[in-house]
Amino acid sequence: MSFSLLGIFQKPDIGALQQSRDIPALIRLLDHGNFDTRWRAARALGMMGNDATVPLLLAIQNPDINIRLGAIEALASIRDPAAIKRLQVILASDEINELRWAAALALGEIGDQTVAPALMSALSDDDRYVRYGAAKALEQIGWSAETDKDRAFYYIALQDWAAIKKLGESATGPLIELLKERHPAIRAQIVEILGFIGGVEAKKTCEKVLRDPDGNVRWRAVLSSERCGVPISQLPLGLSKRPRTGPSIFGATLLNFFFLGVGYDYLGKWWGLVIWEVYMLLIVLGQILWDPYMPFIIAFPITTLFAVHTFYIAKREWTLSV
Amino acid sequence: MVDISALFGQKKADIEKLTAAKDISGLIRALHSSDDLYTQSQAAKALGSLGPAAMDALIRALKKKNKASRLVIIQALTEIRDPKSIPVLIDTLKDESSEIRWEATIALGEIGDPQAIEPLITCLRDHDKHVRYGAAFSLVRIGWKPPNDEEKAFLFVGMQEWKATWLIGDSAIPALTHILHDRDSNVRIRAVESLGELKSTQATPALIQSLADENSEVRWNAVLASQKCGIKLMYLPRGLSRRPKLKKNPLISGFLNFMLPGLGYSYLGKWWGVMIFEIDIFGTVWAFKYLGEEFTYEALLPIYLLLALHGYYFTTKMPEPSI
Repeated sequence: MSFSLLGIFQKPDIGALQQSRDIPALIRLLDHGNFDTRWRAARALGMMGNDATVPLLLAIQNPDINIRLGAIEALASIRDPAAIKRLQVILASDEINELRWAAALALGEIGDQTVAPALMSALSDDDRYVRYGAAKALEQIGWSAETDKDRAFYYIALQDWAAIKKLGESATGPLIELLKERHPAIRAQIVEILGFIGGVEAKKTCEKVLRDPDGNVRWRAVLSSERCGVPISQLPLGLSKRPRTGPSIFGATLLNFFFLGVGYDYLGKWWGLVIWEVYMLLIVLGQILWDPYMPFIIAFPITTLFAVHTFYIAKREWTLSV
Repeated sequence: MVDISALFGQKKADIEKLTAAKDISGLIRALHSSDDLYTQSQAAKALGSLGPAAMDALIRALKKKNKASRLVIIQALTEIRDPKSIPVLIDTLKDESSEIRWEATIALGEIGDPQAIEPLITCLRDHDKHVRYGAAFSLVRIGWKPPNDEEKAFLFVGMQEWKATWLIGDSAIPALTHILHDRDSNVRIRAVESLGELKSTQATPALIQSLADENSEVRWNAVLASQKCGIKLMYLPRGLSRRPKLKKNPLISGFLNFMLPGLGYSYLGKWWGVMIFEIDIFGTVWAFKYLGEEFTYEALLPIYLLLALHGYYFTTKMPEPSI
């Protein structure tokens, strides 16, 4: 314990710990403040052989993300098949994408053929790092796609867009599934390829993507819908169904009625808070000079006017953002 | 007599009249005040025709603070092409403002004097992409030939001719590494991508740095590029773990919420945090006045404790920022 406290001030002697095979101390160092030390501790653990597997599998359950990452990295170099089960669980269900990614890579390093199904399902993970890691790991264990659908998932994971285009309609299903991707640039890319491939499913999807929250993706969808044969006259209607991403008009109006200025703040105007400060000051002054209720009786007719103003500017900003 | 209309730019300055009167300060004023490029260039040409006295006045005016008028003067100097202005323009390459530096690189290229080559080469290493671009453009214009591949790479990077840098090989690494801290994340993305295309293990230290970039697209491109340069895939998650984290400290938000109720939420980036803070102040003043001091303290303390606890747990429950 005293060691880890000291470690804040000086670089711990990883070589010595490695020689004395002090696995618990090395695991503690995975969370060291210095990046280089963390990295060297993980490497030292990786050279401990199968003795370290059990403590590392326990360390994976630590709440600290650096310890978990380091443990996965060390398990990847130990290559003990006993770690496969735990790594598969992380790959399939951990909340943190970084750990799912590391688990996919580690499974590739261990190199056991039996993990192929787990890695294949990770090809449709909603995070691009995890997908990429799974594709690379599959390469490492010598997997090759049997169906065009698997091949499509594999190329999407590698972001090899040219190869996906060549696959044609068999890529449509996987592409549509991965529209759940959170990065708008990738969604835009997918929609573009769907427009290129065409077909009934692609057409339906492009129409749906007209309602994407991201402006660039919507624009790609417009171009792709047209390529897929959606009549151009239908596009404005499709676009008009997009979800409201901006602040709520009603919310802003109501806020400005009760808390004058906060509505503007909510709409992203920096001066909203200035108005709110002044308003509050006047109310408090009024209450101190008269009585607790009088200031509000005077204030509400005024805030009503501001609320109307808020309604109009919120509405204008909404219509501008097609 | 002061020509008021010229001061306010309401009337187009009569360049011919000013030239005939050899009114240098009047012409310089015309440079600043008129918005149209034609009048400005007429005034510049007129100043050029007035000889050394006009040049001195322009150079003196260049030392003034106002950025917009200095840009106009550099433009005028470009148009006059007097060799006397070259040392001054070279000095300007070290200006604080990147716009002035950019304009000066272009001016030196237009004048085309070989004296400017050395200082322009230094500008290829500027931290602003516009200045680098201007310097590269002007060097080509003056007819400079890079003496070696490393310099050639700096020239291409300045031009943003990314594909050309790929062909240079390892000698392009210093130039590409130099811009990995550019303010524009698009430049950083292209630099990372180009380092990948070099397919060289020499590029790995730079790419490992970029795995921790603050911008998620730069990081992602660094991952893809690192695979082309032979960085072991298993090391990448750790490399990315070094990125600047946006995770907030629960103790800070808890403490803020206790001392300044609501500001703990502001710290977490919630727009309504300040509103709670204001309502608290309002409520406190109100309660002091109408309910008495003692009662107010008794009533508010538990509320503050609750807010502090909520701020703390609210922060711990926030998801880990993803890659």
